[in-house]
Parts: sequence; C-alpha cells; structure tokens
Amino acid sequence: MGAMTRLKGVCLALAIAACARAVVGAATKEQADAISSALRARDFDTAAELARSALKASPNDAQLWTLQGIALSRKGDGGNALVAFEHALKLSPDYIAALEGAAQLYYQAGKRDAVPLLNRLLQLRPDDPTSHAMLAVLEYREGNCEAAVPHFEHAGKLLDAELDALHAFGTCLVRMKQLEGAARVFQRTVALHPNDARERRLLAAIQLMAEKAHDALETMSPLLEDPAADSETLALASSAYEETGDTPRAVSTLRRAILLDPNNANLYLEFANISFAHQSFQVGIDVVNDGIGLQPQAAALYVARGVLLVQLAEYDKAEADFEKATELDPGQSLSAAAQGLAAVEANDLDRALATIEKKLAIKPNDPLLLYVRADILSQKGAEPGTPEFATALSSAKKAVSLKPSLAAARGVLARLYLQAGQTQPAIEQCRMALAGDPSDQAAVYRLIQALRKSGDKAEIPDLLKRLALLREQTAKKERERYRYKLIAGDRAPSP
Amino acid sequence: MRVTRRTFVQLTLASAIPAAGRRVLAQGVATHAAKPLARPAPSGRPFHARFVDVAAAAGLRAPIVYGAVEGHQYILETIGCGCAFIDYDNDGWMDIFLLGGTRLEGDPADATNRLYKNNRDGTFTDVTAGAGLRRAGWASGVCVGDYNNDGFDDIFCTYFGQNRLYRNNGDGTFTDVTKAAGLSNPQSRWGAGCSFLDYNRDGHLDLFVSNYVNFSFEHAPVPGENTNCNWKGVPVVCGPRGLPPGTHSLYRNNGDGTFTDVSREAGISGATKCYGMTVVAADLDEDGWPDIYVACDSTPSLLFMNNHDGTFREEGVLRGVALSEDGGEQAGMGVGIGDYDLDGHLDLFKTHFADDANGLYHNDGTGNFDDVTRAARIGVETRYVGWGAAMMDLDNDGQPDLFMVTGNVYPDVERKLSNYPNKTPRVVFRNLGNRTFEELQEEAGPGVAAAHNSRGCAFGDFDNDGDVDVLIVNLNEPPSLLRNDLAGPGHWLKVKLEGVKSNRSAIGARVIVRSGGSRQVQAVLSQSSFYSCNDPRLHFGLGSIAVANVEIHWPSGLHQTLTGVAANQLITVREGAGVVPNRGWNKA
Repeated sequence: MGAMTRLKGVCLALAIAACARAVVGAATKEQADAISSALRARDFDTAAELARSALKASPNDAQLWTLQGIALSRKGDGGNALVAFEHALKLSPDYIAALEGAAQLYYQAGKRDAVPLLNRLLQLRPDDPTSHAMLAVLEYREGNCEAAVPHFEHAGKLLDAELDALHAFGTCLVRMKQLEGAARVFQRTVALHPNDARERRLLAAIQLMAEKAHDALETMSPLLEDPAADSETLALASSAYEETGDTPRAVSTLRRAILLDPNNANLYLEFANISFAHQSFQVGIDVVNDGIGLQPQAAALYVARGVLLVQLAEYDKAEADFEKATELDPGQSLSAAAQGLAAVEANDLDRALATIEKKLAIKPNDPLLLYVRADILSQKGAEPGTPEFATALSSAKKAVSLKPSLAAARGVLARLYLQAGQTQPAIEQCRMALAGDPSDQAAVYRLIQALRKSGDKAEIPDLLKRLALLREQTAKKERERYRYKLIAGDRAPSP
Repeated sequence: MRVTRRTFVQLTLASAIPAAGRRVLAQGVATHAAKPLARPAPSGRPFHARFVDVAAAAGLRAPIVYGAVEGHQYILETIGCGCAFIDYDNDGWMDIFLLGGTRLEGDPADATNRLYKNNRDGTFTDVTAGAGLRRAGWASGVCVGDYNNDGFDDIFCTYFGQNRLYRNNGDGTFTDVTKAAGLSNPQSRWGAGCSFLDYNRDGHLDLFVSNYVNFSFEHAPVPGENTNCNWKGVPVVCGPRGLPPGTHSLYRNNGDGTFTDVSREAGISGATKCYGMTVVAADLDEDGWPDIYVACDSTPSLLFMNNHDGTFREEGVLRGVALSEDGGEQAGMGVGIGDYDLDGHLDLFKTHFADDANGLYHNDGTGNFDDVTRAARIGVETRYVGWGAAMMDLDNDGQPDLFMVTGNVYPDVERKLSNYPNKTPRVVFRNLGNRTFEELQEEAGPGVAAAHNSRGCAFGDFDNDGDVDVLIVNLNEPPSLLRNDLAGPGHWLKVKLEGVKSNRSAIGARVIVRSGGSRQVQAVLSQSSFYSCNDPRLHFGLGSIAVANVEIHWPSGLHQTLTGVAANQLITVREGAGVVPNRGWNKA
C-alpha cells in the first residue's frame, strides 16, 4: 500500500523529537545538539558524519546510534540505518526513537519485523495513533482484520488524512460483517471528500449491505440529482429503490443505466434479478435477450436466462443456455450446477446426478458442484448407512471445507447429520450457517431440532422466538415484494 | 438477503430450484415444492384388500353440493367438508353422516347434510329429515361424541357462519341445542376442524374448534387480483395467504348441557397465526392427558400440550410437527393417527398440497416427532392435493397402512396445466413392515384408482365383516363408499369402549394390542382424517396371530388389561367392568 507516506513523515519528525528529548548518554549534549541541528537543516551527510565521529568516542551511546540511523535513513541508506537502530536497541531496548526508526524502515519495506517493535512502542505509549495506524495496516495486509480493527480504531483521526487507510478499515469491518461500523467509516471518507462520487457509491453500497436502503439513497442523492449520473450510480440506486419497495423506480432507474451503458452485462443481470424477484420471468428473459444481442459472449447472461427459463418450465431451452455458457466459459461451474438443478426441477433426479457427476469428473474440487451432488443424493432419499449417503455426506463436508461461506452446503450437511443422528455436528453446522446468515430460517429450525434431540434445551425458547420473528419478517418482505409484477412495458428498450 | 449482481445467478439458482424443497412463493397456498423420490421396484407382495365403490348400490346417490362445479370465485367453495361413521341408534351398525355445502347463488334443493341409516344388508336409508338434521349451508367438519353421557353419540358440525351442536335424543332424532349449550358465536366465523375431548379429565367431553380464515364476501379479493390469487401463473381463488387467519376455541363442558368458552385462560387463543384445519385430540406424550394437534394450512401446524391444570402450551415447532424438515410451511389438511412401526406410540400422517410430499411423523413416545417421510418412502408421491387420511391396517396383515383421498382445489387449472387435473385417484401406501411403504393404486381395487375430487373420508366397518371400509366425500358428486373385499388370511380384533368414570364415548382412551411380540396402539378419536369421524370401534389387524392382550388406558386414568383375547371378533369393554355383550354386530 503506497498510502502511508504521511505516516512516514510524521514518524520521522517524532523520532527526531524523541531523540532530542532523550536522556543524553555518554555523548555530550553539544554533540547531540549538533547532530540534531544538522538533521533539522536536512544536512544528512553532515549529521551522519558527526554521528560517526561521536560514536568513535562513545560507541555504547544509544542516542548517537539512533541519530546516526535517522541520518542514514534520510540519506536513503536504509540498510545501514537499520543496523544503527538495531544497535541502539541492543543498548537500550525501550529507546523510543530507535524503536520508531526501526519500525518505520521495516514498515516501509513491508516486513512484519515492524510488528514487535510497534507493539513495544504501544506498551510504552499506549495511545500513540501512528503506531496503531501502522500496526493496523500491517495486520490488514496479512488479512488479519480481527487484529487490525482495534488498531484502526485507536489510530483515530490520524486516518482521516489517509483515504486508503480508511478504506482498509472499512473493508475490514465489512469482512467481519460489522456493516454499521463500516458505514460509519465510509461516512468519514464522504465527509472528507463530499464531491467524490466513488466515495459516495462505496458508502451507499455498504449501507445497502447493512439493509439501510433509505440511507443509501440519501447518500447518493447528490449524485442522482445530477442528470449526468453514470450507469454505476444508477445501478446502485436501482438496487436501493428495490430494497425500499419502490420497484417502479428501481426499474426505471435501471432502464436509464442500461441505456447509458448498454454493453454492461451486469446491468442485464440486475434486471433479471428484479424480474425473478417479482416472478416476472418472461420480462426478465426479454431483457436478457437484449443483453445477449449486444454481448453474445457473456456466459453469465446465458446462465441467467437459463435460470429464468427453468421457472417457466422450458427445460430444453434452459439446457441449451447452460450448455452455451459452459462452451463460452468452461472454467466456471455455475452453468453445470444450473444444469443439474434444472434436471431436479424437471423431476429427473437421475439425470441431474449424472450431469453433476460428469462435471465433477473434470472439476472434482468445485464446492458448488459438490454441494449440488450432496443435495441431489439427499433428495433421492439416500439413507444413513448406504454408500449414497456416505457420498452425500463427504461431498457436503468437502464443499464447506473448500468454501466455508457456501451456506446452502452447510444446510445440506446439517440435514444429513441430523438424519444420521449426529446431533453435535449438526448443531455445529447450523451455528456456522447462522454466523454467515443470521436470517437463515432453515438453520434456526434445524438447530432447534438438534438441540432438542441433544437434550441441551436452554437456548430453545429464544430460538423459537427468533424463528417466529424471521417468519414474520420474511412474510412482510414477500408482501412488499409481490405488490409489483413487471409487465412487458417495463422492459428496457433496446438501445 | 440482498442479491448482488455478482451473486445473482448463484442465489437465484438456490431459490429457483428447491433444494430439499423450498417454498414456492407468490401464490396463495404454501407448498414445500419437494421433489418426488424415485419409486423402488414393486415388492410383488400380494395386497389382499380390494376396495370397490358400492355407494350407488348402497343407496348413497345424492350428490354432495359444494360450491360451483367450475369457475370458483372464493376459497369457501373449494375446501369442502367431512363425514362420519356414527352409530346414532346404538344398534351396533355404523350409520353414515355426510356434510354438504351450498352455492354462492343460493341453496339448491338438494343441498343438505344427510344422515343415512344402515339397513344392515349393505344398503342405507336417508333419514335426514326425520332426524331433524336437514340443513343447507357451508358445512366444514364433523366431530362425534356423547357430550351429555346419556349413551347416545351427539354431533357437532362446524360451518362458515354458525356451528351446530345436535343432541341425539335417543329416539332417532336430533335437536339443535347450539344456542342453549352456549356454543353460538357472537359473529360469523369459519369453523373448520373440531374434536370432543376431556381436557380436564372430569368425565365430561369438552370441545375444541379450529377456525380457518377470517372470511367475508365483502372484503375477499377475487381470482387473479393479487399474487395470493394465482397458482403457477393461473388466476385462482384467493388464499388462504393474504386473508386473516381464524382463531381457535376451547369450550369447557359444564356438565349440565352447557359449555363455557375457556380459550383465553386455557392458552388456546394465543395461537393466532395459523389457518386451522383438522383437529386430532389424543394423548401424544402418554402422560394420561389429551393433547390437541391442529393441521394448519400454509402456516405452522399446532400442537397444544396439556399442562394438566386446565391450560395448554403450544409446542408444534419444538416437537417437530409444525413445519417441513427444512423449517418451511406446508399446506396441512388431513391427519391420520396410528402406530405404523408398532412401537406402541401414536404417529401422525399429515396430507399436503400438490408438489409436496405428505408427511409421516414418528413419535418417540414423549410427544416429540421426527419427520420420516423420506425414510418411509412416502415421498414418492407428490402429484396430488391430499385431504382425508388414515393410518389403518387395511389388509389385516398386522401392519397399519396409509390411505389418502385427493382432489384439486382449482378446477379451472386443468385446462391450462394438464398435469394438475381436477379429479385424482385415492392413494394407498401399504406398510412393508420395515418402516417403509409402497404406493398402490390399481392393486388396491377400482375404488382406489377411481378419480374424484374428494375431501373428507371416514374409516369404519359398515358391513361388520371384520375389515375397514371407507366413506368418502366427493364434491358435487355422490359420495363413495368403498367396501373392502378383503380376501387374505389375516386375523383382526375390534375394540369398542364404554366409559363410566371416563366420558361415555371413551374419547381420549389409548388401546394397545400386544400380539406375537409386537404392540400396536390406537386412540379413540372424535375427529381425524379431514374434518371427519371414524367408526369408534378400534380396528387392529393381527396378521397370523390369533390371540392378543389388550391394554386400555382410560381417560380417567384407569388402566385395564385383558389377556388372551381371541382374534376375529368385536369386544365391547366397559370401564372397570371388563368385556360386556356387544350391541348389534351380527346380521340379525
């Protein structure tokens, strides 16, 4: 991340100041002052030479080694600077200026050697925002958001100067599913850059994920008032309108987006999504047809159209679309999964299984295909103790180990465990599914049954209430959603 | 869950194609959308029961008027009604009571409930008018019980409008005592299932009534008006989704011919979010107190567990009988109750809508259930809308089978979707003895394979020949009376109970027959199937075993055991006294 240049500058200034405040060791105050003056005057050659001379007389002076390190690092001699800092730390492990200097160099080199140094600095100065900021970034780079977030928080307003750092902070919160916290972070970026459309879109996207569609629309309102709003903004706004139940506006906004960017396949997918949600399958097919006309190589569009065709029980046409998608993009497994599931929908479980097995022979570690295989075997009535059941179980287990976020696979696995009388693993899978999606009603229900069977009933009353609430919320959303059906006139006109 | 562009296809796949059976959305009725299991090869075992429809020959020729023949406007016309085997004159021969409906434009001349007296020769005589039971209206369910303990079974009918309690006068006539008994509703309701039960064990039969939908002609939408008025894209009658659900009622018998509404204090009226249908009252957790199971349409079914103190707690979801195995709602209509695996515990069989498997729920003896639909191979059949049902030994091989009647609710759909015909056959699942079933149609006789639009059905032995016959409501047609021409060698035993300290009808009693190392339990019920009431003489198939022990758990709490009971007879057992002479039974 090239973002932290200002942090580097801050650290260096602090290091000089720290050295200036440090207790003078064997060197005289005059020697130290002279070196510091040279540094402040940016005469790094002189500073380095003065430090070298002073060190001949006082080789065990941590302050002198640190000043030399600072001078060398400013000269661009990071290697020798680091040696100097390390020498200082051997003499005085808690010498803040040396800790800062060494940490800074390791940080710039992207090395985690900075981490223990920064941790030591925080032990000495727990509220140092710069150390927190640097540690946050290092942990973020390692993908360790759980460790990064507390440091981002302690870095406080220091991050306001670093847009990328704020983005990293927000991204971590999203990964940790702390969406409201992420929204607050991105609100800071928007406050700092109110005219930056990208920042507004980022915040709006987070707000949508946090199911705060109205907030998302408010965030985007300055952009939407602009008649020249771009297709990305319009597409995001369309999603937000749909979430608020304003389907007519969602559709009209998406139509505008498609007109602006007719070659963007994703926009047709969005339209197909809305059509699906409102059970208006033919309208969705018609729009996707337009998209395919412009983007005939877009595999995803064929898969989308195939899914919609399945809803109309047009299985042969759907099959043709899935085959086309595979031909265009053999690496993706979605079309294979779709073919299998379409066969399931047509009540041909044997054909469904055969389709999936054929694809698994080519891609044996595809989590989606493994999950579909497990589900089909379960639907075929595989009984515990049979080879089919064992295959279903191992497929589901492998699917979740390859892709822990595949909630549907966890659902099948939980069901299989329950069937096999293995309540503890079933409970575990249900809990993991709920960690990914707290609104998964099937997972809540299975957890209730599994806990009842295990005799561990303490949680059950709360789970029952939760299930009842989820059912009410789902029913309400459905009522809202099914207020509207798309009709032929809602199609985006062909560009 | 919001679907992003990137995940559209992934997630719409998951919701487009039912995994273990997802909810099909945007229609008025819930269906689990389960895929049928592959049918295994036929077992080849002979099935000795053969059902033949003898209704016309028996004199049951009057059609059961119920709504328009086609072009339904409202859901009221589609649900239909139940029927009962009832020995109203105590001669030991099952008489027949068939409910009926009417039409939107007014009551046709032949629209009425009908009581048929058994002539004991395979025929019946319509005695409706003389009995005082002639009435036209939108009848729903019937439950039977001797609520005043005078030795004569009374009839309670639920209606859209006002329910009716008919007191049996003991002389072949009935009197409508609804108002006098305190059972009139202050306003019109849609009564659905019902059951007499002695919930407080005071020896008097109380009454539970489920209600379906809070319906009014003024406010009801019409076909196609919204997404709850469509089925697979075809405009159909609206509901039940989108219509306000009914609430349910419990009435305590005061012992003096009157009832008091105790719904609130008993904890019943709290269950407000379900479309109630068939009611079954039985002691499911074997603690000596009756519980109440209500099959609900498109909403979680209810299981009210008796707290022994005049109150109930609702635990359907917890106990695994409210939802599908994936926690989804199903259209629950009819309920069969019995012991399919001969472990001495009452299991449940619930009928569901088309594109869904009917549910078989195994009771572990504590009133907790496992959905064993898939394991039992019931899931091979998902084509039909299921209604009345029973778990009964149809061929006397000692293994209770499943019988179900079917019929579509949307008569106009078949013109556009030919794989959803209006009239569909009956279904028999014969028990293979290894906790699995095999579906039969033609093999079970022409009465099973015949296609009708059926609803309620009652099971009993109308010709007293030691097997189980079936009476079936067919909408806008005469009923079916399926005589079981059983040819096999299996033994059987019928048990009729007379309460003394318990209610006279012995409703709520559990009877366990132990024979040859197996044990089979049944309960005396006031309603089961779909809105219907079976012959109260419990029928046990014994297979090759010719003698059995009979254990009776009376509603009063008394346990009584009879040992060495010979097969192939009806025994009448009076509480505390033992076996007493049968009433009627033989052709004489």
